Amino acid sequence: MATLVLDNGAYWAKIGYSQDKVSVIPNCQFRSKTSRLKTFTANQLDEIKDPSGLFYILPFQKGYLVNWDVQRKVWDHLFGKEMFKVEFPDTSIIITEPYFNFSSIQESMNEILFEEYQFQSALRINAGSLGAHHYFTTKPSELCCLLVDSGFSFTHIVPYCRSKKLKEGIRRINVGGKLLTNHLKEIISYRQLHVMDETYVINQVKEDVCYVSQQFYKDMEIAQMKGEENTVMRDYVLPDFSAIKKGFCKPQEEMVFSGKYKTGEQTLRLANERFAVPEMLFHPSDIGIQEMGIPEAIADSVQSLPEEMHPHFYQNIVLTGGNSLFPGFRERLEAELRSLVPAHLPVNVFLPENPVCYSWEGGKLLAHSPDYDEMVVMREDYEENGHIVCEEKFDI
Amino acid sequence: MFKVYLGFVCIYFFLIGVSNSFWDIRVSFSLTPAACRSIKMVLEKKSSARVEAGQRRVLDEATRQRRLTRQLEALEKDNFQDDPLSSLPPPGPTARLPAFSETEEPEKKRRKTRGDHFKQRFRKNFTTLLEEENLSERAEPNYLSAAAPPSSLPPRLFCCVCGFPSHYTCTTCGGRYCSSRCLLTHRETRCLKWTL
Repeated sequence: MATLVLDNGAYWAKIGYSQDKVSVIPNCQFRSKTSRLKTFTANQLDEIKDPSGLFYILPFQKGYLVNWDVQRKVWDHLFGKEMFKVEFPDTSIIITEPYFNFSSIQESMNEILFEEYQFQSALRINAGSLGAHHYFTTKPSELCCLLVDSGFSFTHIVPYCRSKKLKEGIRRINVGGKLLTNHLKEIISYRQLHVMDETYVINQVKEDVCYVSQQFYKDMEIAQMKGEENTVMRDYVLPDFSAIKKGFCKPQEEMVFSGKYKTGEQTLRLANERFAVPEMLFHPSDIGIQEMGIPEAIADSVQSLPEEMHPHFYQNIVLTGGNSLFPGFRERLEAELRSLVPAHLPVNVFLPENPVCYSWEGGKLLAHSPDYDEMVVMREDYEENGHIVCEEKFDI
Repeated sequence: MFKVYLGFVCIYFFLIGVSNSFWDIRVSFSLTPAACRSIKMVLEKKSSARVEAGQRRVLDEATRQRRLTRQLEALEKDNFQDDPLSSLPPPGPTARLPAFSETEEPEKKRRKTRGDHFKQRFRKNFTTLLEEENLSERAEPNYLSAAAPPSSLPPRLFCCVCGFPSHYTCTTCGGRYCSSRCLLTHRETRCLKWTL
């Protein structure tokens, strides 16, 4: 009996059998201006020759699954002949959901898994719980951990004690990768070039060029200087999809500070946007969102829990999710926390080598663990008893 | 502004007096034509960035708040362009319809009834689902209580034109700017453009 682990994210779906490796596939459909009739699903993105002005159809809205049409089409493609060739009656599935998922969505998920796809058994779990499981398995001596899951739609800060999440400590910041990309699109469109339609290209820009600065105001001063002294500024060559397939950042040696480049490529000149955009994770008030940033929310979350647990949480902070891939994120978070946390408590922030797939790896470990069979709900159970059995067994 | 202009004029005449010659004014003060132009431009620019007191429209707090919420909501959008498929005309009778084989039909029929039912149930958007949850009745902690509270630190303000730290506020719309050049750009492009 095979186990399929699916970390169903709002942007990336991390999917794979528990004995194989993980595949990271976009969890949405695309439409392109050039081939108008065709809708591309998930990894058919590679077939699109001209991803300019790419239109995204995401099943998730604000982090919760609302559009089942699109999600089912993506899943049909993933479970079908071209991808994972799932044999439903013999497969057990581990699927992730966001925190505090709505009961109507949970019920729809049950129906779709058991009645439409007819999996043999299913386990619905929070993505962070899989990450926490991974952490506790790799460090068996630790009792508590604080998981920071900074993804596409929002950032969650979740304390875990002995593999159980503490609901009163969960904090949600509504700043995620989507907000950062949209903000970057807006400021580039206002200052340089109209790119509001180019989500795919600007997302690539964000991933290539943005970083988290360790000294914000100092970097701001450097970015204001002219010419060679401005070490922050970079030129980014935009793809034109005929000669240049993928955009890239020009290395510093090749940059020309005055006048235009000899080649006819379109470039973006980015100075303070490089570090001002990821700064929104630390200070959402920069653009007017009235919420605390990640370091403050961590302090607030731990503060709401019993006093004796505080040292355990501060020593085991785990970063997962796509936004933790920004260079300098871990160091900045540690520095900011150090200034917020009482001096006698040690602070330790752990960034795994692959934060995006960390939860998936946890799911893989869970599938092989001995108590897995007690955690799942079998299809026969569901058909007899209905949603109640899922509600009791799964702790979402 | 006027004082600066007066100052320049005074320097002009003082130097002329000192040099005690009857040469052309420009030559004695050694102002290049470019410098003349730039001084003129600066004076003109400063006067055009100012709006006359009677003509200036000041937005009230409620309008400013509405603008801000609209900007933040725009940041949540998935796409800023229209669906490429929606602009195409719907397929007419000339469109090629795939021929269904007999074996496929019973499957399709079953799927179709299921699909319609799903479509009706699952077309709700996020806000509807949130309201249906009726979270004010449920016990804490829940989705609403998990939202991070406002920050205790004061907000950092950035120029809306160039993104560097700003010290001044536009009197009409409340947007921040860092220098008079940015104020001019702001006034020309963004200031009252999308106000309700």
